[in-house]
Amino acid sequence: MRRSLDRFVAATAFICLGLALLVLTGLLAAILLRGLPAVSWHFLTEQIRSVGAAGGIFYNLLGTVILIATAALAGGLPAIGVALVQTVYLRGARARERLGLVLYLINGVPSILFGLIGLIVFVQFLGWGKSWLSGGLLLGFMILPTVTISLAERIRSLPAPYLEAAAGLGLSRSQIIRSVILRQSWGAWVTGILIGLARAAGEVAPIMFTATIFAGATIPPGIKESPVLSLPYHIFILAQDSFDPRVKEKLWGTALVLLFLVVGLSAIALPSRIHTHDEAAQA
Amino acid sequence: MRILTVLFALGFTAVALRAEALKINGSTTVNLPVAEAAEDLRAEKEMEIQVDTQGGSSGGISSAGEGRVQIGMISKPLADEDKAKYPDANLTATQIGEDAVAIVVSPDVWESGVHAISKEQAQGIYESRIKNWKELGGEDRRIVFFNKEPGRGTWEVFANWAYGDHKKAPPASFPEVGGNEETRNKVSSTRGAMSQLSSSWADGSQVYALAIKEGDEIIEATPANIAGHKYAMSRPLNLVTRGEPGGQAKVFVDYMLSEPGQKLMVKHGYLSMAMLKADAEPAP
Amino acid sequence: MIRAQVAAGGAGQVAARPRFSAIACLSWACTLLAVACLFGMLALFAWQSVPIWEKEGLSYLAGKQWFYRNEIFGMLPMVYGSLAVAAIALVLAAPVGLGAAVGISEYLPNSLRLGAKVGIELLAGVPSVVYGLLGILFLRNWLYEGLDYFEPLSGDMLLTGGILLAVMVLPTIVTLGDDALRAVPFVHRQAARGLGLTRGETILHVALPQARGGLIAAVLLGLGRAMGETIAVFLVIGRQDNQWPERLWSLQPVIEAGQTLTTKLGGSEINIAYGTTLHWAAMVGLGLVLMLVVGLLTWLGAWLSRRKEPDAA
Repeated sequence: MRRSLDRFVAATAFICLGLALLVLTGLLAAILLRGLPAVSWHFLTEQIRSVGAAGGIFYNLLGTVILIATAALAGGLPAIGVALVQTVYLRGARARERLGLVLYLINGVPSILFGLIGLIVFVQFLGWGKSWLSGGLLLGFMILPTVTISLAERIRSLPAPYLEAAAGLGLSRSQIIRSVILRQSWGAWVTGILIGLARAAGEVAPIMFTATIFAGATIPPGIKESPVLSLPYHIFILAQDSFDPRVKEKLWGTALVLLFLVVGLSAIALPSRIHTHDEAAQA
Repeated sequence: MRILTVLFALGFTAVALRAEALKINGSTTVNLPVAEAAEDLRAEKEMEIQVDTQGGSSGGISSAGEGRVQIGMISKPLADEDKAKYPDANLTATQIGEDAVAIVVSPDVWESGVHAISKEQAQGIYESRIKNWKELGGEDRRIVFFNKEPGRGTWEVFANWAYGDHKKAPPASFPEVGGNEETRNKVSSTRGAMSQLSSSWADGSQVYALAIKEGDEIIEATPANIAGHKYAMSRPLNLVTRGEPGGQAKVFVDYMLSEPGQKLMVKHGYLSMAMLKADAEPAP
Repeated sequence: MIRAQVAAGGAGQVAARPRFSAIACLSWACTLLAVACLFGMLALFAWQSVPIWEKEGLSYLAGKQWFYRNEIFGMLPMVYGSLAVAAIALVLAAPVGLGAAVGISEYLPNSLRLGAKVGIELLAGVPSVVYGLLGILFLRNWLYEGLDYFEPLSGDMLLTGGILLAVMVLPTIVTLGDDALRAVPFVHRQAARGLGLTRGETILHVALPQARGGLIAAVLLGLGRAMGETIAVFLVIGRQDNQWPERLWSLQPVIEAGQTLTTKLGGSEINIAYGTTLHWAAMVGLGLVLMLVVGLLTWLGAWLSRRKEPDAA
């Protein structure tokens, strides 16, 4: 009786795990099968022709890169400050908890609301029209919690001897932060950014009212009225509005390229995460 | 250091000197030939043209009226009330082609014998009084009506036909579809489905276009009937500008009216201006 | 030596010295900015939606009809839609996710564990628009044909949205569930095994109960994510307004089309409403309600996941 319960629990767990992994492989296989035929060097370096039926997605890729690069700075840089406040400057567990909660809340905001606030602030209030900068700032705010938490966790787990030694040598707090804390944890900062960008690269809702258009944008000329193309928006529009059967294949190709980008970003972050993971496990 | 300053200044000037881009926004129906024309003009004349499809035809009018874009694309006539919304803008429409809206149905409906629909029947379906295809002579199957989402010129053309004025259309709640691809995709994969669609998208295999029944007459959406305005749900494809088109907008509009532009209209299944005139003239 | 002591003494007083360093100022500025942006969003939504609250008040929240052309705005069917798809998603994803979490944290050897985690996270990385694509091209057709017995009107139903969301939140639940289980100290499991419990019993009676807070948090955060998703659901839910079920607790509405708060916000009405006072206020109001509801769920989840058992390390 107890044996069978034991086996039952094990079986259930493995079935669930298997199911989860099965769904994953199925998904990836579907995208790969359909997208691979479309992707080529040509596809990546040419621009759209015939409204998506021919040509490539160069400017879409460029647009997404511009957006996430901006987001990396717009979210990554302030994140350093927030992480420092969270770990070094704030005193009292309560206050830290509250800041942590705020980060959690920002992270949980539905992405369409970033688009909505962008519409109100950037398009309406500032009159920027559609701008790559709006998109970058919104996405940056979206990934701020991810970077902050990644950095803060790393700072918290810095071996105490480092800090004690620095203090013992007479360094001021700022100096300690610069030479020890930040220097030792910049890897976590980068990791956090990469994970955040992996999410930001695939988002449509924050940018569809504020930063991206379907066709015609190349390199943004300035800030106001300077939209960009993007990969996920391209997919979103073509899923609803394509014309040519040839577009279907391009659509999957775009999806695959986007997926590669996202997975690639996560993959670069992987070794560092495993390292932190093992370190934590050994601690 | 000096080199950097020079480069920076050059780059800045280059960016500043770049002519302001031509911005176009509006109907997804008109978008197809326009976007391709924009590609051609970009290649030939190095014009910077940005094309977007936010808000469909009504988005085209509002963005042109508010000056956010130079050209608004709409797949319906420019109404007085549209112009009245933006009195300072002096909105002017230039027609570049003609299209028809058709009620399309899924293959099973077509094969069960429903090939035409009357205004009264359309009203009945829209008001959920008619719920089954057998009332139109088809098989016993529920009518699945995918309504075009609000703001689409296609919907307005349909409502104008069914109710005389789209503002008179009663409130209704149906599943919505957005662009042409989504419409065709969903109608073709659902039994008993119908929706409003640009007639050029009714390919006769995935979805079928119903003819309009007026009394005893059955009027199909052929180019001749569309051009002659016999088919009631025909609609002009317009480019809307503030006043007469000038500057870059004029270059674009002229291109659309010229031979290569008009070829694009036909390529995407619409009627060119020439076809409109030719078929409208009575045969000698 | 004295220098070192002085230095040590000086360093010990670091905390007491006024924090006027540049880094401190910048850091505080960034933090305040971030907090201000969050509450600023809420404030802006509230402010811009004032007209609708003034005009309709409670009937805006509880109204079952939304006809913008007639200026009738009631969001209840959309709230129902949001809750329904999220509930479907969780009913499917929570058991599977928690089961997989148990599998990863309790059964898999360390070497495989990392691989499985990475695999699951890959699933999390797939952008929602790609999920939407798979949904509109495949899932809705499968469900339409598969559920033929129930005669759904089309493949666009709350169920389709729910299933798509289930796959999307699965990784969240698995990862957070795994973290929660791992947070239970190993010694507790050791003790149980030492007392003669089987592995299964250990999991059921020791690990799971102790991880309860974190597991509930995982589910709540998954729920928050499900309610906040727009693009994937947008393409498969039908976007039909005024779908209020005749009988709330039946399963019929699940196979009908519907509308959620997010799909309404992501649709064409935002562009139509732009510039119109009342309609715009109604749309922004949806955003306000959405933000509050999801914020509440996130808060609950964060609170629960922080509550640690007294003897947890």
